[in-house]
Amino acid sequence: MGPLIPQGLIAGGWDFVIALLLGIAFGFILEASGFSSSRNIAGVFYGYNFVVLRVFFTAVLVCMVGLMYFHYMGWIDYNLIYVLPTFPQPMILGAVIMGFGFISAGFCPGTSYTAMAIGKIDGFVFTAGLFLGIFIFSEAFPLFEDFYYKGNMGNITIGEFLGISNQLVTFIFVIVALVAFYVTWLIEKRVRKTITPFKFE
Amino acid sequence: MNKNYIILAILFIILAGGYFLLPERENIKQMKPEDLMRDIVQTSRYVTTDQVAEMIIEGDPTLELIDVRNEYDYFEYSLPNAINIPMDSILVEEYQDYLGIEDMNVVFFSNDDILADQVWVIAKRMGYGSLYVMEGGLNCWISTIIKPEAPQETASKEAIELYDFRMGASMYFTGSDISTPSEEGAKPVTVKRKKKGSVAEGGC
Amino acid sequence: MNTNNNISTPRYINPYFGGVLLGLLLLVTFFITGRGLGASGAVKSAVVTTVDKVAPVHAEESDFYSKFITDRHSPMFNWMVFESLGMLLGGLLSGVLFGRIKKLRVEKPPGVSNKTRLIFAGLGGILFGIGSQFGRGCSSGAALSGTGSYSFGGLIVLLFMFGTGYVLAWFFRKLWI
Repeated sequence: MGPLIPQGLIAGGWDFVIALLLGIAFGFILEASGFSSSRNIAGVFYGYNFVVLRVFFTAVLVCMVGLMYFHYMGWIDYNLIYVLPTFPQPMILGAVIMGFGFISAGFCPGTSYTAMAIGKIDGFVFTAGLFLGIFIFSEAFPLFEDFYYKGNMGNITIGEFLGISNQLVTFIFVIVALVAFYVTWLIEKRVRKTITPFKFE
Repeated sequence: MNKNYIILAILFIILAGGYFLLPERENIKQMKPEDLMRDIVQTSRYVTTDQVAEMIIEGDPTLELIDVRNEYDYFEYSLPNAINIPMDSILVEEYQDYLGIEDMNVVFFSNDDILADQVWVIAKRMGYGSLYVMEGGLNCWISTIIKPEAPQETASKEAIELYDFRMGASMYFTGSDISTPSEEGAKPVTVKRKKKGSVAEGGC
Repeated sequence: MNTNNNISTPRYINPYFGGVLLGLLLLVTFFITGRGLGASGAVKSAVVTTVDKVAPVHAEESDFYSKFITDRHSPMFNWMVFESLGMLLGGLLSGVLFGRIKKLRVEKPPGVSNKTRLIFAGLGGILFGIGSQFGRGCSSGAALSGTGSYSFGGLIVLLFMFGTGYVLAWFFRKLWI
């Protein structure tokens, strides 16, 4: 049955309408969860607000569990789902660079859009920076083209890498996340006592 | 600690762990008979010999020709750059690499189109996409491309244009007189095994 | 359900509820499109379009730009671009509903000047731009959607991105606390 578009079950013209609708839902959820505030997001690194971790991990869990059952019911074909290919070295470098960006800006691309939507200048500046960053990367691409394609492992899943089933991966993820939720809840309670609470915008 | 959270946490553990207690369900990937029938009834899987000839001449890199006749016939005569997968070995593991290659359009052909059609159904049932059948098979190929029949004097402009194309194609394939622009066999079929997903990489 | 709600915090939905919604949305996205959500892809399309408009020859010759340019239509006519437009609308909608739309402003902790905040926001954007290309996606495309579909690469990005954030948190504390 699913996924619908790769199987041609939805006519081509609807693609962009669907994209728009899914985007609206995505933007709405991000904003409503408080991701339009960089201080809210950065809180995850200082222990005063773990909203990022909560939303993020809950979403990953729901998606993983959902895909698992969709697959079991035969509603979705795993093989047609796009699994992000793995290039360990460039990906680690990219993630570290993004980590730097994350801690200095407190935004990631998706959240900066929602920050723009509610009128935050830092959101606009971040997006402009994003544009510039991708431009710099593209111009300098020949310099590290080899590195960019280094260590291609193909569309490997976590389970395939570890040699276990992805169902087990899901189960481990659930346990780890639940423990993380509990621990961060404790941390947040302690940290909030020591720092003066501030007003979020 | 809110009691609701504990209930939710337990629910999650049950959901994730419960999967292992479910009975095995196999054959999920198989195509439903209705779907298969719908695809068989549709004629969109047919490509004409003219289309195939054009793609070969233009060196279309997405074209993958598969000759499903037996080996003897294949060596006797086949289309340029065609791969031979005899019908009875379509299920053999090593040939699977040729099917379902990303961005490749597989065209089956045989002497007529019945054998190719049968292979098409099997491959379709195995879950591969982008499969086509050359309409009329090699017999049609010979009668339309290699030895095209001249149209009547009174024939329509399209028919004459088609004939001109076929004559050109005939020269291209039989190698008679005019030197062919691109050397034959310059179009290796790159076989990379298809991994999961067929959507373009990139973005975020 | 949220016990931390008091007057000084604005009304955000419960993070776990938000997470469940986001997870369901991701699931629906996978079910419909076969791939996850993303964000930086739209900006990449914008970059490619701009370069293609300003210096078409340069774009043709570049190994990187030419990957995204087709003769058929503009790179802006892209799934990600429409999705990101939707995100703006969605953010706006939520902002209106929860009363967070105000005049243009810079959000920052009390001890930080506007200038510092904007410089670091821009810098972070640049770094994210570069990093997201190496990482094959940003936090939504690689970390969220990637991990959600069990991609090993997605998990790498997730762990190293947050890991770096934690390692650096102490050095950047002046910006946030």
